[in-house]
Amino acid sequence: MDVHKLEQKARWVRRQVLEMIVGAGKGHIGGSLSCTDLLVALFHGGILRFDAKNPSWHERDRYIHSKGHAPESFYAVLASVGYFPVEELTSYAHPGAVLGPSADTDIPGIEIHGGSLGHGLGIAIGLAISAQMDRRDHLVVVMLGDGESHEGSVWEAAMFAAYHRLNNLIAIVDHNGQMVLDYTKSLDPFDEKWQAFGWDVRVINGHSFEQIFSAFEDVRNRKSEKPLAIIANTVKGKGVSFMEGQLHWHHNVPKGEQVEIARKELTIKCLTRMLT
Amino acid sequence: MLNPNVDMRDALFDEVCEIAAEDRNVILLTGDHGAFGLERFKKDMPDQYFNVGIAEQNLVNIAAGLALGGKVPFIYGITSFLVYRAYEQIRLHLSGMNLHVAIIGSGAGYTYDLEGPTHHAIQDLAMMRALPGMTIYNPSDSVTCAALGRLAYKNAGPTYVRIDKGVYPQVHENIHDFSSGFGVIGPGRDVIIVSTGVMVHQALKVADELSKLSIDTSVIDLYRIKPVDTESLVSVLEQGERIVSLEEHCVVGGIGSLLSEVLTEKGSVLPLKKIALPDQNYHENGNRRLLHAWHGLDVDSVKTMVLEWR
Repeated sequence: MDVHKLEQKARWVRRQVLEMIVGAGKGHIGGSLSCTDLLVALFHGGILRFDAKNPSWHERDRYIHSKGHAPESFYAVLASVGYFPVEELTSYAHPGAVLGPSADTDIPGIEIHGGSLGHGLGIAIGLAISAQMDRRDHLVVVMLGDGESHEGSVWEAAMFAAYHRLNNLIAIVDHNGQMVLDYTKSLDPFDEKWQAFGWDVRVINGHSFEQIFSAFEDVRNRKSEKPLAIIANTVKGKGVSFMEGQLHWHHNVPKGEQVEIARKELTIKCLTRMLT
Repeated sequence: MLNPNVDMRDALFDEVCEIAAEDRNVILLTGDHGAFGLERFKKDMPDQYFNVGIAEQNLVNIAAGLALGGKVPFIYGITSFLVYRAYEQIRLHLSGMNLHVAIIGSGAGYTYDLEGPTHHAIQDLAMMRALPGMTIYNPSDSVTCAALGRLAYKNAGPTYVRIDKGVYPQVHENIHDFSSGFGVIGPGRDVIIVSTGVMVHQALKVADELSKLSIDTSVIDLYRIKPVDTESLVSVLEQGERIVSLEEHCVVGGIGSLLSEVLTEKGSVLPLKKIALPDQNYHENGNRRLLHAWHGLDVDSVKTMVLEWR
């Protein structure tokens, strides 16, 4: 797997996120940037099984973007693999646009109405059970936020999934360490909680493609009966220097010079790579 | 042929068991709430049964996922917890994505009288009526319960059935066309009492008392509360002189409100009296009979209200 190509893809996705949010004047930039590498790995790295030209392909892996309030990088990735034209991205969150601030099922590639947190894991359980009952071997992958993991319904689902041995279910937590107003230290020790709930847990750097691929290497033939939680340590606002790790960038929109700086940072690296 | 003298829940679950035996995609999920008929389901079709535990949000989320995965979930729990606690999940996924899920709420109104207000489902109609695409039933007898099981299965979108427990006199014939949404009992048109669920039996008693006083009264059992066949319903209502709604539900958003909406929409000037639970909190503990007496839903109180209503 060409990591360099994936890094370029990720940079391109981050640039789209910036332009979408600046163009619309709204969006959840920090949380979209933090899960970008994970999404690029899933959809461009050969992890997920899907057919962009046939979004309802019965054998597809089901991917649920449970942190649906931050769909921007997900939209960019879906466009980049062909679910809909890339040009659609410029319409993001404009009046009448299909690509709204919360993902919904009118959009090809999107399985549930997103935007309210804490639901995706339970819904994923229903999909995982259906697959096991019908002896279909597709995966069910759900991405949660760590802020989202405060919702009790997440833990109701976690308990159920482990008890019912749903080992075709994978939860990825975009553990960027922040929610809206604060850091998510109250969740610590986070990985131990998933373990205590009966999940296999893999903790990775969510910005390292090597580590992401390593975490997913055996997902289609794990011996374990437990569902898998991948706790991806990430940085909120990753890719834009003044945003990284700052509480300010949950749903604020960069303005003026900030936009220019962000654009440079999401272009220069690419150019540098291309020139060397 | 259905035996009408069975507990309402058994009538419904017997039908659901038959359906689940025919279609292995039917999955029954309970929030740790039991019923006699459920035991049979669990025994005969264990692979199609899950006790999710006392976790209503997870229960509805899982049902949504099952529906998306091609299954036909029937979810079951105590109404007040299922609907109130998991309302957001019902709103966003079952209604919002128009999913093929049947919600069976055990307890309508004061079914669980002695358990106290936490168990009383007296605002759920207001809540569920507000959800697009939600079909809502409240049966008054076992014959209707059995029919509803099949109707919920066949409905492409979400269906909400709130049911009582116990054996009640048969109201509808087996051959009644349950797709109509309501049944008219009696020819009287001085007063038409519109009710739903077990309060239909209360309404029938009131109708009987009024008729003895030469106020010819009939009863409409509105067992399908949404959608309402407005044309057909209004055409019956307009045969009457005065309309009364009687419900074990708060006055806001239930049957009375529904009739107000329907009649106003049609430009009707029919007098309408809403007899329902007042818009106030209460903490008294009592059985159904006492709760009715305290809130003016007993036969004598209703009769008096109608007589004094001029």
